[in-house]
Amino acid sequence: MLFFSYFKDLVGREVTVELKNDLAIRGTLHSVDQYLNIKLENTRVVDQDKYPHMSNFLVCQLSVRNCFIRGSVVRYVQLPPEGVDVELLHDATRREARGG
Amino acid sequence: MATGLRNVAERAGDGAGQPILDVDNGEELMHVQSGVAIVLGNRPPKSPGTLYISNRQVVWLSDTDRAKGYAVDFYSVSLHAVSRDPESYPSPCIYAQIEASGNEEDELEDSDSENDDALTLSKVTEIRLVPSDPNQLDTLFHIFCECAELNPDPLEEEDSDNDWVFSGDVMAANAEDDDNPEWDVLQNRTHSIGANGNHDLVHSVVRLQINDQRFEDAEEMERNETNGRH
Repeated sequence: MLFFSYFKDLVGREVTVELKNDLAIRGTLHSVDQYLNIKLENTRVVDQDKYPHMSNFLVCQLSVRNCFIRGSVVRYVQLPPEGVDVELLHDATRREARGG
Repeated sequence: MATGLRNVAERAGDGAGQPILDVDNGEELMHVQSGVAIVLGNRPPKSPGTLYISNRQVVWLSDTDRAKGYAVDFYSVSLHAVSRDPESYPSPCIYAQIEASGNEEDELEDSDSENDDALTLSKVTEIRLVPSDPNQLDTLFHIFCECAELNPDPLEEEDSDNDWVFSGDVMAANAEDDDNPEWDVLQNRTHSIGANGNHDLVHSVVRLQINDQRFEDAEEMERNETNGRH
């Protein structure tokens, strides 16, 4: 559950979730579960072209409402650079891939 | 796994009836909300209707037309949220995106808003559920969350052709490793979503443990195989 543990520690930080349908949503990571379902707050759409209703809705939603994103539709989670120790993450993932 | 929005033409019971649930396989009703209109994509809202949320799917049944109903599995709900912005929709509602199952090459045209055949419905990617009582929105949102969490994607069969790329030192380490990695059964813990702490990132990463079989090594390679396989 490497990524579940990893994302738990990013709670409270700004992330951008890119979905497999190309929609990108930026917000504060509220919580995450073992299936990498993601709840965001303060959400706003990064790419506004494909879902204009979505962008209008999200741009005006400030701080109050959560957005729940199904883990299986997430393509990428873009992280704040200051929240990432690349070397450490490399080592952890390499170690786990090795089964050690 | 996602099947998209579909028609519901049959119901159980008399009168306005109820959705037919797969009770033998553990489907059960979690919440019923009357006085809900449904909006498919950009089409006009359909009402009056009743919303039935089971642990597998969301079903909307028209109160007046027994042949009219819609359902979507939670597998297909990509995201959901509470919409209170009057500019995106005049009434507060639950907004949800559906992973459409239609073919990409077919043209999606709303030529007939009343045309609810399976092909058109499967291309609907956005729906709104508009309760007549907006105070119910938070409850509906949380039930959607709970039920979505109950419906993760089932684990797929591991491909025999796992195209993992290893660096040279990792390959050497694997060759020396006599242990066959055990296939840990994914624990059926229910980690509900909630506010998690803000731990020190460095220490947490160092202490990470994985018991997920998806991260297990592929089967041991034959010693005779060359390192060129990737």
